[in-house]
Amino acid sequence: MHEMGIASSILEAVRKEQRRYPGCRPVRVAVRIGEFSGVSTDSLQFCFEAIVRDTPEEALELSLEPAGGDELDIAWLELDDDAEKPSVDQREVTV
Amino acid sequence: MIQVPVERKVLSENDRVAAKLRTRLDLVGTLALNFIGSPGAGKTAFLERTLQMLPGGTSAGVLTGDIQTENDAIRLARHGYPVQQITTGGACHLDARMVVEHLREWPFEEFDFLFIENVGNLVCPTSYDLGEDAKIVVLSVAEGEDKPMKYPGIFRKAELMILNKIDLLPYVPFQVALAREYARQIHPGIEIIETSSVTGAGFGQWLEWLNRRRFAKLAAAAAVSEEAEIPVEVPAGA
Repeated sequence: MHEMGIASSILEAVRKEQRRYPGCRPVRVAVRIGEFSGVSTDSLQFCFEAIVRDTPEEALELSLEPAGGDELDIAWLELDDDAEKPSVDQREVTV
Repeated sequence: MIQVPVERKVLSENDRVAAKLRTRLDLVGTLALNFIGSPGAGKTAFLERTLQMLPGGTSAGVLTGDIQTENDAIRLARHGYPVQQITTGGACHLDARMVVEHLREWPFEEFDFLFIENVGNLVCPTSYDLGEDAKIVVLSVAEGEDKPMKYPGIFRKAELMILNKIDLLPYVPFQVALAREYARQIHPGIEIIETSSVTGAGFGQWLEWLNRRRFAKLAAAAAVSEEAEIPVEVPAGA
């Protein structure tokens, strides 16, 4: 029922993490979902697709991994480091 | 393509806000309780009766969450304590930020008790830490005895189960012993108090629980401030 909130928390966390890797585009985020976390994976997947639509993260994939207990953790983030990576020269110009 | 480990809780932002509030409440000894139960379990009536029975001079505030309407706040405000409605506008639970935002206008650090009535729901509120000292699950005898088995998450996290509306027992097939057994199967250490907000049954025991927890919290707060007040030795020549 609260998957929309969970989905936006995941997207927020991705954006925060992404700032540490300038010039990289997030491709896939993995989230571990415990069987007692109270989160429905289908519904979370659906909500996530809905909130990334028409955003810069539109192509970001959510990969859900089953886990134990009430775990609800972001495990890892995959980034495309070739995308829009500014060259050294460009960076010098913009500074 | 690079893969970076993140290893953080999805709700870490909520947990951070909740932890900050908990630190503030711990310093002053305000006991914060998060009431969770199905819609209609009797959370509001239970809190109304509690407010009526608090000894004179008690300082308390109530936050009550609902998806829509101010109805619960209006009911609770009749008892002379500050009350605020949190209307979530669709969200099925309260989160720590909503609580902190609503506390901003209140001298909540002077409160003995902060009661938080969550949105009626046994699932979603379970995941959100509000900075409370304890979650309390309210189950009424008009529901099924097997609620603890159906919604184990909240019964595992709650320290206390209020088995409410026991004045209805003569009219419903609810088996108290079975409900207790199920709750203890899920959470062997859960405390259980049987109450009726209509007759006041069980409220003596409930107020004892409240006092016990409040004194324990005050003692802990006093220990913390004593530690903090130890004069720092100024080194010679400083």
